[in-house]
Amino acid sequence: MCIVYLVALIFCITKVRCSSNTSKLIEDSSQSFTERMKTGKTSFIYFGNHVNPTIKLFLDQLEMSADALEDYGISVVKVNCSKETIAKYCTGEKLITKTYLLRGSEVLRSFDIDTVFDVSAIVSHVLFTVLYNEVRYVHTPAELLQVENAAKQMRDVVVGHIPVLGLPEHRALMEAAFVYGTKYQFVQTTGGPLLKHMGVDDLSVSKARLWFLHCKDMSRQMDQCPFTPMRKPLDTINIHTFLQLMEARLVTEANVDPSEVDMVHNHLNVPVLYLFSHPQTKRLDRATAQTLALQLRGEVGVVLIHRDSTDVKTPLQYNAAYRLPQEDVKYFTLNSAEEVMKLFKEELLQDYKMVEDEEENEEHWSDLEILDDEVSESVYRDRDLMLDLESITELTSDNFQSEVTQNKITVVLFYFKWDAVCMAFMQTYIQVADALEGVSGLVLAAVDCGEWTNICSDRDVTSFPFIMIYRPMEAPQPYRGMLGTESLQRFILLSQISGPVRLSSSADVLSFLEGDLYSKHADLSSIRVLGLFTSTLDTGVTSFKEAAKLLRGEAILGLFVHREAEKWVEGLSVNLPAVLLSRGSEVSREAYYLPSFSVNDLVSLVQRAVSDPFPELTVENLPWYLELEKPLLLLFVGKEYSTETSLTEMKHLLSSGQLPSFLPCWIHLGRTPVGRSVLEKYLGFVPPLPALVMSQLSTGGEVFLFPRERPLKAKNILQWLQSVENRDEHPAGVIPDTKWSPPVPVYDFLATMDQEAPGYASQRDPKMKTGAKEGHRDQDMTPNQRQTTHSSPKPQAPHEHSEL
Amino acid sequence: MSPIQRLFWLLCVLNLVLATSSGSDPHGSNDTLSHEYCVLGAGPAGLQMGYFLSMRQRDYIILERNSGPGSFFNIYPRHKKLISINKIYTGRRNREFNLRHDWNSLLSDRPDLLFQRISRELYPNADDYPRYLSLFEQELGLKVKYGVDIGRIKALGFRGDQGYVLTDQNGVRYQCRVLLVATGLWVPQQVDFLGSDLVEGYESIPTDPEEFKDQAVLILGKGNSAFETAQSILGRASRIHLYSPSPVRLAWQTHYVGDLRAVNNELLDTYQLKSLDGLVEGRLDDIAIVRRVNNEGKRRTGNKTSGKSLKAKEQLYLTLSELLDNQNGNKSSNVTAQNLPGYHTDNFSLRQPYDRVIRCLGFRFNFSIFDGSAQPPQCSGARGRLPGVTAWYEGRGTPNLFVLGTAAHSRDYRLSAGGFIHGFRYTVRAVHKVLEQRYHNIAWPATKLPISQLQSWILKRVNEASGPYQMFALLGDIILLRGSHCEYLEEFPLQALSQLSALSGRHVSEHGLMVLVMQYGLNHTDTLGPGRAESEWTKAWRSNFLHPVLYYYKTLPTEKDMRQRPVGWPLPRPEAVHHMVEDFLTEWDQPISHSQPLRRFLEYCLQTDLRPFYAESCFLMSLTSRNPPVFCRQGYLKKQGILGNSHLWQHAREAGLMPDHQGDVPPDTSVPEYLTHAGAAVVSRINFDL
Repeated sequence: MCIVYLVALIFCITKVRCSSNTSKLIEDSSQSFTERMKTGKTSFIYFGNHVNPTIKLFLDQLEMSADALEDYGISVVKVNCSKETIAKYCTGEKLITKTYLLRGSEVLRSFDIDTVFDVSAIVSHVLFTVLYNEVRYVHTPAELLQVENAAKQMRDVVVGHIPVLGLPEHRALMEAAFVYGTKYQFVQTTGGPLLKHMGVDDLSVSKARLWFLHCKDMSRQMDQCPFTPMRKPLDTINIHTFLQLMEARLVTEANVDPSEVDMVHNHLNVPVLYLFSHPQTKRLDRATAQTLALQLRGEVGVVLIHRDSTDVKTPLQYNAAYRLPQEDVKYFTLNSAEEVMKLFKEELLQDYKMVEDEEENEEHWSDLEILDDEVSESVYRDRDLMLDLESITELTSDNFQSEVTQNKITVVLFYFKWDAVCMAFMQTYIQVADALEGVSGLVLAAVDCGEWTNICSDRDVTSFPFIMIYRPMEAPQPYRGMLGTESLQRFILLSQISGPVRLSSSADVLSFLEGDLYSKHADLSSIRVLGLFTSTLDTGVTSFKEAAKLLRGEAILGLFVHREAEKWVEGLSVNLPAVLLSRGSEVSREAYYLPSFSVNDLVSLVQRAVSDPFPELTVENLPWYLELEKPLLLLFVGKEYSTETSLTEMKHLLSSGQLPSFLPCWIHLGRTPVGRSVLEKYLGFVPPLPALVMSQLSTGGEVFLFPRERPLKAKNILQWLQSVENRDEHPAGVIPDTKWSPPVPVYDFLATMDQEAPGYASQRDPKMKTGAKEGHRDQDMTPNQRQTTHSSPKPQAPHEHSEL
Repeated sequence: MSPIQRLFWLLCVLNLVLATSSGSDPHGSNDTLSHEYCVLGAGPAGLQMGYFLSMRQRDYIILERNSGPGSFFNIYPRHKKLISINKIYTGRRNREFNLRHDWNSLLSDRPDLLFQRISRELYPNADDYPRYLSLFEQELGLKVKYGVDIGRIKALGFRGDQGYVLTDQNGVRYQCRVLLVATGLWVPQQVDFLGSDLVEGYESIPTDPEEFKDQAVLILGKGNSAFETAQSILGRASRIHLYSPSPVRLAWQTHYVGDLRAVNNELLDTYQLKSLDGLVEGRLDDIAIVRRVNNEGKRRTGNKTSGKSLKAKEQLYLTLSELLDNQNGNKSSNVTAQNLPGYHTDNFSLRQPYDRVIRCLGFRFNFSIFDGSAQPPQCSGARGRLPGVTAWYEGRGTPNLFVLGTAAHSRDYRLSAGGFIHGFRYTVRAVHKVLEQRYHNIAWPATKLPISQLQSWILKRVNEASGPYQMFALLGDIILLRGSHCEYLEEFPLQALSQLSALSGRHVSEHGLMVLVMQYGLNHTDTLGPGRAESEWTKAWRSNFLHPVLYYYKTLPTEKDMRQRPVGWPLPRPEAVHHMVEDFLTEWDQPISHSQPLRRFLEYCLQTDLRPFYAESCFLMSLTSRNPPVFCRQGYLKKQGILGNSHLWQHAREAGLMPDHQGDVPPDTSVPEYLTHAGAAVVSRINFDL
């Protein structure tokens, strides 16, 4: 029955593709919509009122999907909101970008039109939603084992790995699930962990895969069901063929000649292998056939033909035969099972694979002349661009010492002209130099280490680009921050203040903390760090001064050594000596008790204190927060009006101290557009914003999505976190443990040598007199055999005059 | 015996008596001076080693028998023209790079202590060299004792394991733990054949060309000294023939500077243009030089008294010892025409007589000062002229005795530059590092590099390093891989690679090692012909000119691997090899032909992605991968990401290397934000899926 259905289905698809004149897309009025709600049928509905090019494109796809979805009993409907008004769905927005999947009046799921961007995406997402209870979504090997255990002795399992949702492979899998859903347990996965579990070594090739897990005949004691991978690309016909093959007998036995045997394989265009069995060796032959059939399962059918039947006329000299689709039977003689495997794996089945490989190879080797990394390529594309180095002082052996001693601050960049990373940064450096031109006493300079190698080696510079800040009479300070315009510029400007600032009165302290002092630096850093000591004798004072030196450029530090220091920590339940932290004019100040701290402790304390408890993650600040190695509670926000409230909810949660083990943070997709790609990598699609995601980056790598239905309230978030912890939530994605192997295969010089100059690259034969060749070179007392014709002068004709 | 000789003999005897008596004196130990290191000879190699020892403040002494350094250059080359290149203008100010083209300076940390201070000639005068050495010795304050002529060297303990005792002409004894022999090669090489006493030596020939006026000259040898001599007399001599077993090897064909240099090769011109000069090959040990009165054939009268006439002067003939009767020796009177090859072969090339025969066969090591137990063996190669040494230049069988300088050339004879100043200044430095490890437990200096910096460090070395460039195929940089970082060792003697751990004090981890070597290529093509240069990087292994080669080994090659290395290779067959294609300008810094192929090779060896990324890509990968690529881990995640700017990102996006998260519409419009990304989401999806 299934086959009939499927064939019909395939027919339908082809039909839709060639003739889409008769549209199945229904346009509802408000009345027909109300009726639809009552029927309880499933419909995929788009409510729109205004059409722009994007929407137009979508509507075309929607129309095409109507034919496809009709076969699954799902109507595709559009409602024109400019004519009809339907509460809740026809919103006042000018452009409506949501579609809904309704069963009766119940909303099964809503989609953004960038998720359901074409027919495949619509069909796959809609079917996935409809089949939500039938198709299991798993991420880890453990979850798969659970499914397997449940299926054992009941039915077989089909596992599909879909790296990207919404593509034709996804659709093919969903359609198969719809047809075969009652027969097999379908499982969908997107993440990497399962791939390894299924024996895929090369994780770099991200393609859709499918496995058939033979669980039906498994006893419950066994661990894992044996499985057969599908080797052909995932499409509807291939999946259908593959599933039929899985149902076929492993070994068919026959008593007729090969051409007479009728098997399902012949109809499915699959090659068949015929083995001839003698009565004497029947058991052995059967075993061989079994082994071969297992290895060739899904690709080749195996038939065992008993020679004792009189119908078998095949000459005795052959003991095997094969038949490729649409070809005649070919007979041959084989000596071992390995030979058959080789024949099939390396020759007969290679045809289509080879085509693929060749394409791949060509791609690689034509790539040889193209730069494949973004930094080198972008710098290379600028090779006709003359950098304007006017604002940068070029340092040489002759002027290095004088330059770095005569300016108040000399920023020195150590670089290589031929290094792409250095030259990419050079553009940034020039921007900073241009921006800071006119700041008195500040010089931005650069040393080309390719030319002035001694300047760089004398200073032990081993990583490039590298920035060092020189001030007269002080040890040079390396710059360890981001190599970007803003970071560097901020650092240079802040480092003009030589910390710590000595404050002499409480009035000074107030103006320091509130940012009036050094107000022109306020926009660089609103954070002020104040060391409070009662006496200069405190050893902490020296440590604090040292720490201030190390933190120069990162934060503004002040020092107040006074008996009134006590006053500033009143009510903060901290004793002196202490560090007081102020975030601008905000009232809240944080204080930290300072017992005998080492300089390094102090530095990291300040660095930690300066970091935001609820940061907005940006490209420039992420590393500071990843260092904490906490799971991220990550809120993705855009321009939606609800952004503000969701951020406030998170802050509430934070200030109530209920998130100790998480790092709550947010990404603004407008300011950090790459955040969209992060979200998409996590979930496989971009959900409506704001979206709250928990990412266990450093532990386990699972990603959970806060359910869209629930309002983003502190209480709900806590509940959700709790159920994640109790493992009641399904992860929405997995962060892969990518190996980052070489992106392009190496050009194998050894292989080329072996091929073009055999022996050139091989080790000497140990039996050969070692060093014979070298000896040759040394034998200058005897004429070189190769070039002279005489070796010893004969008495009668000695000393030929050899003209070389 | 002349009176002077008699006096000399007397003095010698007296000296011997004095020496013996002081030796037997119970207080004789006063005459024994003890040093940790004795350097024998204040030539370039001795002073070079002296510099390194003094830098480390080691207890050392340099002993020199003459009154000044580099006395070899007072005599040699006889015609006073040094043929080592003194190239002052390279267009570069990189000191290391400039040493690639300065063949005379010694290594020091003084930028001004270069040979160009003494001479600005491309081929300087030989007299300038001792002046340079004096300057070097004085400005660096090296400890040299002049006038100490060591006549005897004795090993202490079992073959020198306790050190060596050196005795000078005054009987003063120097006891040292380590003996560094830098005596050079100055004993003229001679071949014993009948009539070799009739031959003049290169060391004593007159250098005034006028002395050769209208003379026919036969020169034995076809090396630089032979050609140098020929060149100086080319305008005066009537006929110059060069005779030796092997044909001329041209340095510009063999890349070996010991072969005939173009600066000396004018005679090749006159030979090929048939201007009376010529080259002939033949064995040296069975020839004979005979003196014969040139009297135009046998006179019937046989009257010998006519020898006084002008026509009857004695001339020299080249013949074969087997043509001579045993009894008549080389007495001119007895030599008949039948004793000459021209009698048997009428067109024999060298049938005409010569006025002079000059021996220009090079020099040999002075083995005579060593006692049996202290004497390094003769090396089988190089006609036995050189002492046999290990790959780290210790005498074979003479522990704690190292041979430096020209005498240490047996390791790379006819191969590299170890016999010449511009080569052995680096081997001396390498030997010094071996000494530091062995006697002071100071490991070979190594630069620790994060793996993401390795590529640019290798490029830096191949573009400036002078040691591997000059001592090609012999000294190479070793990169010890340690996972996320590596240790970079410079200029290790490659033939000693199997002994790396013991010699350098650095171990090889399970990540393996890489070796960076400069090499000439197969040299199978015509040196000046078409197709002599390769420009396609995938054919880099066919490069003929000097180019960098990287070898990758998973484990340290054993001695057996080294012995069985492929013919003509400096190292055994590695796990993987990478040739960087030869470059016309010797600048290996181009992104497509040099950097990227190198990066891919490193990626293969390290099995990791080494591509650089902008901070934005690192941001994405840091959040969506538990283990981002190494460039992001060692840069961005250490807070040192490369931000770049929109201009560069635009390039990367156009090249399809960076996904466009932004979409076409700028975000600051009134259009709801998610819509502006509708297209972008699809684009980026596709990009990630590649």
